[in-house]
Parts: sequence; C-alpha cells; structure tokens
Amino acid sequence: MSIIEVEGLVKAYGGRNVVDGITFSVEEGEIFGIVGPNGAGKTTTVESIIGLRTPDAGRIDVLGLNPIEDRFELTEQVGAQLQESRLQDKIRVDEVMDMYASFYREPQDWRTLLERLGLQDKVGARYKDLSGGQKQKLSVALAMVGSPRIAILDELTTGLDPQARRSTWNTIEQIRDGGVTVVLVTHFMEEAERLCDRIMVIDHGCVAAQGTTAELIEHVGGDQLLRFRPSVPVDDAVLEQIPEVDSVERQGSSVVVTGHGNVVHAVTSLLARERIIAYDFRVDQTGLEDAYLEITADAGYEADISEREAS
Amino acid sequence: MAATLAITRVEGRLFARDPIALFFGLVFPGLLLVMLGQFFPGFTDPSPDLGGASYLEVYAPIVLALGVATLGLVTLPPILGGYRQLGILRRLRTTPVHPWRLLSAQLIVHLTVAVVAGAIAVVAAVVLFGIALPELPLWFALSYLLAAASMFSIGLLIGSVARTSVSAQAIGMGIYFPMLFLAGTWVPRTIMSDTLRTVSDFTPLGAAVQALEDSWFGVTPSAGTLGVMAIWTLVVSLLAVRMFRWQ
Repeated sequence: MSIIEVEGLVKAYGGRNVVDGITFSVEEGEIFGIVGPNGAGKTTTVESIIGLRTPDAGRIDVLGLNPIEDRFELTEQVGAQLQESRLQDKIRVDEVMDMYASFYREPQDWRTLLERLGLQDKVGARYKDLSGGQKQKLSVALAMVGSPRIAILDELTTGLDPQARRSTWNTIEQIRDGGVTVVLVTHFMEEAERLCDRIMVIDHGCVAAQGTTAELIEHVGGDQLLRFRPSVPVDDAVLEQIPEVDSVERQGSSVVVTGHGNVVHAVTSLLARERIIAYDFRVDQTGLEDAYLEITADAGYEADISEREAS
Repeated sequence: MAATLAITRVEGRLFARDPIALFFGLVFPGLLLVMLGQFFPGFTDPSPDLGGASYLEVYAPIVLALGVATLGLVTLPPILGGYRQLGILRRLRTTPVHPWRLLSAQLIVHLTVAVVAGAIAVVAAVVLFGIALPELPLWFALSYLLAAASMFSIGLLIGSVARTSVSAQAIGMGIYFPMLFLAGTWVPRTIMSDTLRTVSDFTPLGAAVQALEDSWFGVTPSAGTLGVMAIWTLVVSLLAVRMFRWQ
C-alpha cells in the first residue's frame, strides 16, 4: 500500500506547464528521492503534496487524504522542511520548538528531538547565531516535532559544507529508522545514492526515469571500465572473445577494457586461468551522477533558461 | 487557543528584543509629552490662541494618537513584510495552525504595548504637569482603542501586501507622515484652515485626536469621530483579509 500516490499531476504558471503529468508513488518506510535540474518542477511537486499549491490537473493522495480538501488533517501527519524558509533572527531555539510543539495534537518531546539531532547545546541560542547546518537541523526538528508519518525535505543540504552535509545525512537516516517515510528533494547525486531507496528523476516537468540507483544506472546502459597492467602481454583478441567485453584499448603498458554486466568477473577469471597477474587493477563504474547526467543530458541548457523565466 | 497563547508569548518577547520598536512604541509618547512640558516655556500655561487651554493639553491627545500611529504604521508593517519575505508565513502554513493566529498574536502584542504606552503618557502628564485625568475614562478608553484599531488595520493592510520588510517600511512611512500632519502634530487642528480641518476630520487619526480631546475634557465624543475610526477599521481590515498573500 503506497503512502503517497500522485497521478498525472499538472501545474502551470504563466501558461507554461511547470509540472506536466507526473505520476509516482512512495511506499511506507522508504526514503524516496526526487532529483532533477533547476526549474524541473521538483519543489512544485512536493509543495503540491503538502497542499501549498493547488494542482491544475491530476490526483494526489497522501495517507488517504486530499492535500487541498483535507489540508488541516494532512498537516498533522506530514512534516515539511521548505526550501528558502527562515525564522526570526532573534527567536531562541527553545522558544520556537515550544511554540511549534503547541501546534500539534501529539507533539514529540522536543528536548529529546534536539538531543538526537545534536542541537541540545543550542537550546538557548538565537536563530541568527546558529551555523547553516544547525539552522537546517532546527528546520528538521520543527518538521518532526508533530510526530508526522511523512517528512518532506526540500534541498535540506544545499549550501552546507561537506561535514555538515554528512551529519545531516545521518539525521535523515535516523528519521527513516524511526519509521517515518521520507521524501527528499536534492541536487546532490552522492546524497541520493547514499540515502534513497528509490529515486525519481524529473526533467521539464516530466518523470525522466524512476527506480533504484542500480535500475537508473542500468537504464542508461551502465558501462564499466577496467584498467590494468598485465604481468605478461595479453592478446586483445583473447579479451574481445569474452561476451561481456565491448572494446579493448591500449594506453602505454595498460589495457583498458570497456564492458557491461558481469564483465569484472569475466575478465579476472580469464586472467586467473591464463596465470596473468593484473597490476594496478582499477574499475570505474557508471555512478548515479553519470546516469543522471545522461538522463537529463539534452535538457540541461533549456532547463536553466526556463528557470530564469519562472523566477 | 494554546497555540495563540504560545505565539503571542514568543511575539511579545521578540518585540521586547527590538530596542527601536520598544523605544518608539512604548516610551516615546510619554517621553515626548514630558519634553514638551519641561523644555518649552509657557507650554503648560493657558493660551488665548487655543481658547484658554494650554499647549500641553492640546498636545496630549495628539501625542497619544502619534503613539498608536507609530505602532500601527512604523512597527507593525515591517514585521509582517519580513515574515513573508523570510518564508515564516509559508512555513506556518504547513502546520495545523492557521497563520492568522500569528497575525492575531501580532495585534494582541501591539495593542498591549499601545495600552501600556498610553498609560505611561497619561500618567506622566497628570503627575508632572497637573493636567486632570480624562474626565470620561470609558469614552476615552474607547476612543483610544478605536484609534489603535484603525491604525493597526492600516498596518495590517500594508503588511498583507508588502513583499519585504523594507517595502513595508517604505509604504508605512509614506502614510505615517501625512497622517501625523492631518492629525495636527505640527499645526494644531484649532489653527488649521477650514478646508484642511475638514480633510482632517475624515482621516482616522484626525478623528482620533478630536475624540481623545473631547473625552479628556468632559465632552462625549461625537458619533462622527467614532464613526470615522470604526469605518476605517472595518473597511481596511476587510481589504487586508481580501488582499493577504502568504508568499
């Protein structure tokens, strides 16, 4: 049973469909990633899920609720961290936590929540004195204080330094481990690959691809590159007869093999049988980033322009 | 209800942490009255120009009106504009609490400050310069609250549409100064030309000054002055609700 179901979502601004027929579903307990170029429609999609935007067409079902008609009930069950949303400079962490806790039927103990996020020492600090990472963690704490079943996190780690970003990743995993379904909008493929059970790539307001990291890589062919220096010369023909090998090249004393499927195993088995030692053996696999760039390749430039128009 | 209380508490603290708002909203009306009485020679003496009243007696209602205008047109709009600019209103919309509660909290805080500031100013004038207490305290309180309501509704309207804190401040100031002029801050209403006084009669702050002055000196405020303030409050509040933008 899907916890979020979106079918044929359309949202237009100024006569242009920013979201143009997106269909997907999120399963309970997973981290679902939404990636795509700027202006692809990611934020519009998640803001439609939480009822901040009214779709022009399509159906959205979140926990059996309609985000527009049942918005009030939805807000009890869905916690959101919005892109580019700040707090008052002089508000203290304990004040804002206390205030947000008073909004919900079943608030969590916010002191425990802050402790889990590593913010317990900042309880008396003012918002403007928090670092970027701490502000984002506070934003997550506010999204979680109402004990939601779903957490929507929109570009949580944009603008953070690498340490803060990794620490935020742990936070997101903690949320999932607590049984909360997470919808994560992100720019960083490393982040999506590390955290997400399934990923949806949006481009030009449409779903360009959807699946696990492995499925997305397979979707674009998923070439693998093997590079090694053989202890004794190897004939190209011997390597080329392996079905998984697509091409063999020489770079000085190194052999570079391009292949697919289980090519690593096939090549190493052959080398072992021939009693050849492979020095400096390296494998370059297509990562999510390569797959993503390929999926969105033809669209990158246009998407930049349309975002400028939209903003 | 618990949420409104929680928001009001926090908004009250935030107001108290803003030294400029605190000074101009809370202390300034009283301070201005004290300075006028203390440092202007003859200000507390009866003046034939003013029909036997002293300048201080004429200025006391004007200063009170100035106080609520400052809160409504100078302090309130940038707070709301800033909340929109920072995404605080949008963020609140994703919670079970309606952002109107934030606006109500804001009005409660400003009204509380207005009442305290008014009390400080009246007490200062009475204690330091021997002016009599308002003779019709209930009418006086009603006039003061209507004056505050009309100013706050204009502030709310500005705050409903301004995209940023700075633009809200600019619009607020643009209304503040003409409003003060028409209320007789620089040229008392008694020595205004007839035309100017008629225009002043129809502005909420001009009406406020009359109603405050009347009730202070024992005359029941006219239905006209109270009506002008009530109508402004009603029309402008409705407009603010209609035009309100979350982002």
